[in-house]
Amino acid sequence: MSDTLTDAQLWRDRYRLMVLMRRFEEACLTGVASKEIHGELHTAIGQEAIAAALAEHIRDGDSLASTHRNHLHAIAKRIPLHPLMAEIFEKETGLCGGFGGHMHLFDRERRFSTTGIVGASLPVALGHAYAAKISGRDSVAFAVIGDGSVNTGGFHETMNMASVLGLALVVIIENNEWAISVPFSAASSTPTLAERASAYSAPGERVDGLDVDATSAAIGRAVAHARSTGPAIVEAMCYRFRGHYEGDLDLYRSQTEKTDRTTTKDPVVLLRAQLRDSGMLDEATLGELEAEASAEIDAVLAAVRAESQPDRSLAHDHVFASGLTVDFGTKGAVA
Amino acid sequence: MTDTAVAPRNINISQAVAEGLRLAMEDDDRVLVIGEDVATQGGVFGSTRGLLKAFGPQRVLDTPISEMAFTGMAVGLAMEGYRPVIEIMFVDFIGVCLEQVYNAIAKIPYMSGGRVDMPVVIKTAGGSIGAAAQHSQTLWGLFGHLPGLRVVAPSNPYDSKGMIAAAVASNDPVVFIEHKGLLLERAQDFEFGANVPREAYDVPLDKAAVVRPGSDLTLVTLSGSVRHALTAADAAILSGVDVEVIDLRSIVPIDWDTIGASIAKTRSLLVVDEDYLGYGLSGELITGAIERFGLGSLDYVGRHGNPGVPVPAALSLERQIVPGTESILNAIVRAGAAR
Repeated sequence: MSDTLTDAQLWRDRYRLMVLMRRFEEACLTGVASKEIHGELHTAIGQEAIAAALAEHIRDGDSLASTHRNHLHAIAKRIPLHPLMAEIFEKETGLCGGFGGHMHLFDRERRFSTTGIVGASLPVALGHAYAAKISGRDSVAFAVIGDGSVNTGGFHETMNMASVLGLALVVIIENNEWAISVPFSAASSTPTLAERASAYSAPGERVDGLDVDATSAAIGRAVAHARSTGPAIVEAMCYRFRGHYEGDLDLYRSQTEKTDRTTTKDPVVLLRAQLRDSGMLDEATLGELEAEASAEIDAVLAAVRAESQPDRSLAHDHVFASGLTVDFGTKGAVA
Repeated sequence: MTDTAVAPRNINISQAVAEGLRLAMEDDDRVLVIGEDVATQGGVFGSTRGLLKAFGPQRVLDTPISEMAFTGMAVGLAMEGYRPVIEIMFVDFIGVCLEQVYNAIAKIPYMSGGRVDMPVVIKTAGGSIGAAAQHSQTLWGLFGHLPGLRVVAPSNPYDSKGMIAAAVASNDPVVFIEHKGLLLERAQDFEFGANVPREAYDVPLDKAAVVRPGSDLTLVTLSGSVRHALTAADAAILSGVDVEVIDLRSIVPIDWDTIGASIAKTRSLLVVDEDYLGYGLSGELITGAIERFGLGSLDYVGRHGNPGVPVPAALSLERQIVPGTESILNAIVRAGAAR
């Protein structure tokens, strides 16, 4: 453990945030079971340490473009929990009024967006980074992607352009080892993804994404490089505990592997043991932090559950910001 | 629209577009132009010429050949309050970056529940100039099919300048499709829209124009086909068909008021479309007219355009596939005979 372990408040905050993230995802799982959420739901259970580390570096003026597995990144960007969960639950009170759903979250004020298309967040982050440059702000554009995104053409185009233009772009790759059913070992020409950064004259660093402290330090180095020079990559190793989406039969991973990883490599469990064993936080404090996080999520979930889906009459709204309606197919014809 | 008392300026359509962009950029420093060869070269057709000198390399950005990256940049820039004009050099290249156009730029206003607008212009050039299957498409039907995009295609110098200005001013994303066969044409060679005022002006993005009044047949067309349709309409007088030619200007939305007023007169509709006919603009116009004006409102409907063939290289073959004056005249005569 690093020297930062001497800062008890920091570790309290980290642990509480990671538990909160875990509880948030668990609350979403209940929405799938109850059919309040319909369609795909992608959770990041097992990947909390990376988002918690990101939260320590991302400022209000920074931007964050995320993926289909985005809830924890939204929390890291300090999107208020209630509209966030309400959007995932398709409620009128949601961040996007129920029009976007869990894969399509947008908050202009907080410079946060997501996309359901693998790799497509990168060019969006490039735009934020360019905006920061030409407007003279020292903001950093963050893009969080999975290991699957790195094999898209957009990754190459974005990294190259960010480097050419010297933009403050930090790409955090959550390498959870699986792109749906295809393992990382079968999909990458390089042993690590971090080393691909050298093709763009950028630093790339692989880090244990289960270790919030190490991940935070790596992101800190990437941010410093981005501000001074240009893009940087952090490849944070992790493991997706759930299927690609809720309902995924997940037969491509052996039960042995899954059991081993989820029981011995749970970042929340590991951190708890580390804090307790080192004497940093005692059992009572840990229990208190867990109870606080659970209560906060329980309250949000209860509120969201009581809310309504948007009225059906709204379905035609917002196709065009100007209010233009095109009315294809709404007229009949009589002779 | 045109003051015929004033001699047309000696400019081409590309210069008219560049002038429209320059005035828009002078008026609003949030407007950026981003694309391949748009800065130093001023565009391969010259439609961004002079902008680099006027506004510098940050607002007029030459990019690597990375359409997916710089089209996606527009999304982030729009979220930051900028108004990017993204140039896709040839519309055919949209295949490498349609993702950001149809899944992000077009849908974010809706997906965000109206909270995030996307004032982005996708400026691109289409149409046949002998460049064969991968450099000749128009594809407005493709964009028109996808919800959330305004799609326009001007046919003349006056409209080109005014519509690019209106596209930049629009809070909706606009696909602005120039015609490669028109961009280098001189203003004085146009019999409509030849006069381009030096000052800023907008041409509305949602209004069609009657460019030739007539009483027998409503011919709806757009972009590079308008001038061919006018020539054909003049010749059709000899066949006893008085054609009203409508320049659609906008594919989304369609100006049904102008079309409806014409059909009320002619009871006949012929669509001339350089784009692929299948699943496209012509079917939309004919179906939409029937839906709006009734099955009994028309005595004739027909369409003439690309029958669903990649545009061939040889001029002899291209003429078989792409509407020209002669083929449009034949379509008019067929329509006249069928009425």
